[in-house]
Amino acid sequence: MSNEVTTQTLDGLEVVRLSGEVDLSWSQQVRRAILDALERAGAVGVELSQVSYIDSSGIAALVEGFQTARGNGRRFVLVAVSKAVLAVLQLARLDRVFVLVDDLDAARG
Amino acid sequence: MSAAAPAPAASAARGGDAERGLSFLADLSEALAGSLDLAKTLDQSLTRIAEFMQAEAASMFLLDAERDLLECKLCVGPVNLLGLRLARGQGVVGRAVAENAVQLVRDAQGDARVHLRVDAETGFVTRSILCAPLSTAKGPIGVLEVINRRDGSPFGDADARLLRALAAPAALAISNARLARDQLEQQRLKREFDLARRLQKALLPRRRRDGFPLLAVNVPAHEISGDFYDYFELPGGRIGFVVGDVSGKGLDAALLMTRAASLLRWAGKDGLAPGEWLRRVNDELCETTSDGRFVCALVGFYDRSTRSAILAGAGFPPALLLRDGAIEELPSEGPPLGILPGVAFGEHALELGTGALYAFSDGVTDVRSGDGRLGPDGVRSLLLRRAALAPERRLRAIVGELKQLKLVDDTTLLLLEEPRPHAPELVLQRRFPARAEQLRELRAALRRSLDQLGVEPDLRDRLVLAVDEACCNVIRHAYGACGCSGDMVVTLSQHEDMLEFELADEAPPVDPARVKPRDLSDCRPGGLGVNFIDALMDDWQLAPRAGGGNVLRMRKRYLPLQEEETE
Repeated sequence: MSNEVTTQTLDGLEVVRLSGEVDLSWSQQVRRAILDALERAGAVGVELSQVSYIDSSGIAALVEGFQTARGNGRRFVLVAVSKAVLAVLQLARLDRVFVLVDDLDAARG
Repeated sequence: MSAAAPAPAASAARGGDAERGLSFLADLSEALAGSLDLAKTLDQSLTRIAEFMQAEAASMFLLDAERDLLECKLCVGPVNLLGLRLARGQGVVGRAVAENAVQLVRDAQGDARVHLRVDAETGFVTRSILCAPLSTAKGPIGVLEVINRRDGSPFGDADARLLRALAAPAALAISNARLARDQLEQQRLKREFDLARRLQKALLPRRRRDGFPLLAVNVPAHEISGDFYDYFELPGGRIGFVVGDVSGKGLDAALLMTRAASLLRWAGKDGLAPGEWLRRVNDELCETTSDGRFVCALVGFYDRSTRSAILAGAGFPPALLLRDGAIEELPSEGPPLGILPGVAFGEHALELGTGALYAFSDGVTDVRSGDGRLGPDGVRSLLLRRAALAPERRLRAIVGELKQLKLVDDTTLLLLEEPRPHAPELVLQRRFPARAEQLRELRAALRRSLDQLGVEPDLRDRLVLAVDEACCNVIRHAYGACGCSGDMVVTLSQHEDMLEFELADEAPPVDPARVKPRDLSDCRPGGLGVNFIDALMDDWQLAPRAGGGNVLRMRKRYLPLQEEETE
């Protein structure tokens, strides 16, 4: 699975889709994509089903998105979180901080 | 069949009595469904059924599925049939079960289906019989029978329909009660098995980590095991050891196992020569074991100062002595324990030196390999193939292979070997430029190595995360702080059951005191890496490296053999 971040607008929801192994080598790119999406829309969903690995720098990008959204009254959810990502969120005790949803329909709230 | 049809009004279930029948059925169902004492309720119900059907006699037969016999369990009327047994298909009652259908006999004396033995013995005259099977989803479990209408007329089709309806709630109540009883019995058995298993585990000695020369593993094929092992130290520096296997399976075998294990320990602690040790236990077991069960065992002493051992076997598979790549078999010189009193047990003396002695229950050779058994040759080749591994990893690897071959019996392996200094085994070493782009490849290499070591996937992924986080810290903080670049070396080695990860860099020294995990309740980006390392590793130290740079050592013990295999 190649490392990739793509952004897409779906019915007012900005979807940031990540795939591959999110690590220090490109987590800044991920961070930028998330913050840009939050500039554009009132609701952002980060789709994580194709992420096979994430390190603490990737988690940090998600935390920053979460905090920015909260500060600006935006909606920020993690969509279809893969098992690998969930394990790391649990380790960081963040699995109950983020809003986790199963699919994009639920992401719109 | 009788030609004289009864007057419609004479039958309980006919005419305006249909409603009465329904209400009686409802009462009966209610009484049976709510019964706290089913035997008593059934007895009362039978009396009410006899009255309602205006029968001279009524009885209930239940099927004993094991013996395929019907036995009269309840009976009202002038003749006591309690305990009467009929074969399935015998008489009208037997036929009701065999055909799972209502049987109506209007004229008993002229009907070939009727079994008139009871009449002949008692003088009772059976005129008309009606039988309904007690049907359940799993087939009939008995029969409800009424005999002779009091007014002398024979039973009719409407009576047959009524009795069939009355049989239904009775069958349901009995079947429910049996189900509840079976469940209770299952729960009781499970509790007993759990207790037996805990007792058995408590009997096995704890594994010693202090360079003790004996190591054993027991993998029960079922809930409870017939195998056991033991070792203990005697004054004077000798070590006694025992491995045994009780014939049979289940609770009886488990009880004999606990007894045999206690006796063998008790006799062994007297320090008797192994032959005498077995003789004493054999005589004791012969006195008290009479149900055909027996115990195979191997016992011995090992003297650490001379590295010599003396052992004796009782019907146990040959112990195998591996020395310098060759295998010597040491067969049992006596029969299993508990069969014949007064027999002698020959001994083997051996010089262990730097060799290894394996004693294994026949579960090991019984392990299925393909179509046949693994057999003694298979076991020997397995031991030779794994001989280079450190003892603990070796037993783990051997048990792992046996498990793949599917255990068909309890399996116990005991190993006697002087600990050799096993150098930490290098598993993986990578040198690479300290840059984030390198980490993906490193993680892939680490996953492969951990897979090869048999580390389970969840733990593997966590260890990879911890190492990756440590590398990120080196890249970001150690090299990042000075804006310089350089290489780093990641090394994975294994020492016994300990995995050791080492990261060495050439960056300016980092103050170890400043590297601390942060408070997780404070939700902010960044700084999580050390938390991960802290949470995932057993311990870690960061120190400046002689000659410049830093070295981080992280250690993780993975599940020790015994806890893993006997859980």
